[in-house]
Amino acid sequence: MFVIDFDEKGHVVMSGRLDAAQAARAQEFMDHIAGACKIDMSDLEYISSAGLGVLLKTHKRLMALPAQGDEHGLQLVNVNHHIHDIFRYSGFDKLFNISAI
Amino acid sequence: MKVELRRSFDEIARVVGVTEAYFLSAGVDPNLRTAVDLCIEELFVNMVSYNRETDSNIDLEMNVIEGGIEVSLTDYDVERFDPTERGEADVDAPLENRTPGGLGVYLVLKMVDSIHYEYHDRQSKITFQIKVS
Repeated sequence: MFVIDFDEKGHVVMSGRLDAAQAARAQEFMDHIAGACKIDMSDLEYISSAGLGVLLKTHKRLMALPAQGDEHGLQLVNVNHHIHDIFRYSGFDKLFNISAI
Repeated sequence: MKVELRRSFDEIARVVGVTEAYFLSAGVDPNLRTAVDLCIEELFVNMVSYNRETDSNIDLEMNVIEGGIEVSLTDYDVERFDPTERGEADVDAPLENRTPGGLGVYLVLKMVDSIHYEYHDRQSKITFQIKVS
C-alpha cells in the first residue's frame, strides 16, 4: 500500500511502500509540483530503484527552476534508517537535502 | 517455500505478503526484510522488463540458511541475461549527469552477501544469499 498526498502545510507526505508497481502513480502526482517542496517520509517504509527514479526525475526538474529563497528542489525529511541507507548507496545523500528521523 | 509469479508488477504486493509470512514461519531475522524485499523486487522487475519473449511464470524460492536466507528467481524459455554483469552505476556523478534508472542491480549487489547466475536449457536462474552481519 502506498499513499501520497499533501499535508496541511502543503508538504508532500508519502507513506507505505514506493515500489515499481506504485512508481507511475507517484510520478504523476510529483509532476504537478511546481516549486521547491518538502517530502515527509516518516511513514514511508520502503523504496526501490523505481521510487528513486521518481525522486530523481522530479528533483532535476525542480532544480532547473529559479530558487525560492533558500529552498530549491526536493527536501526529504523524516527518512528512516533503511531508506537512508538506500539513499546513501545510491549517492542521493550528495544530491538531496536529507534529514533522518 | 516456492511460488509462481505472473509477469506483472502487480505481483510485487503478493511477493511482500509471501515474504512476510515466510520470515515469520521460518524465523528469519526481520532485520533482513528490507534488503530481501528490495533484491527480489529489482531482480523480478528486471526479468519482467527485459525477458519479453516469454509469457511463462517466474518461480520464486526461499530457503533458510545458516545466519540468513537464500532466494532464487527462475525465468523460463528466455535468452541469457545475467543482471550481475550490468551492476555498474556512477553514484558519485553530479545531478546534471544522473538519469533515472540503472540503480536496481547496483543496489542488489550492494545488499547481498553472494549472488550467482545460472543459464541452461533456456532457463535463467539467479540466486542470492543475505545474512545477518
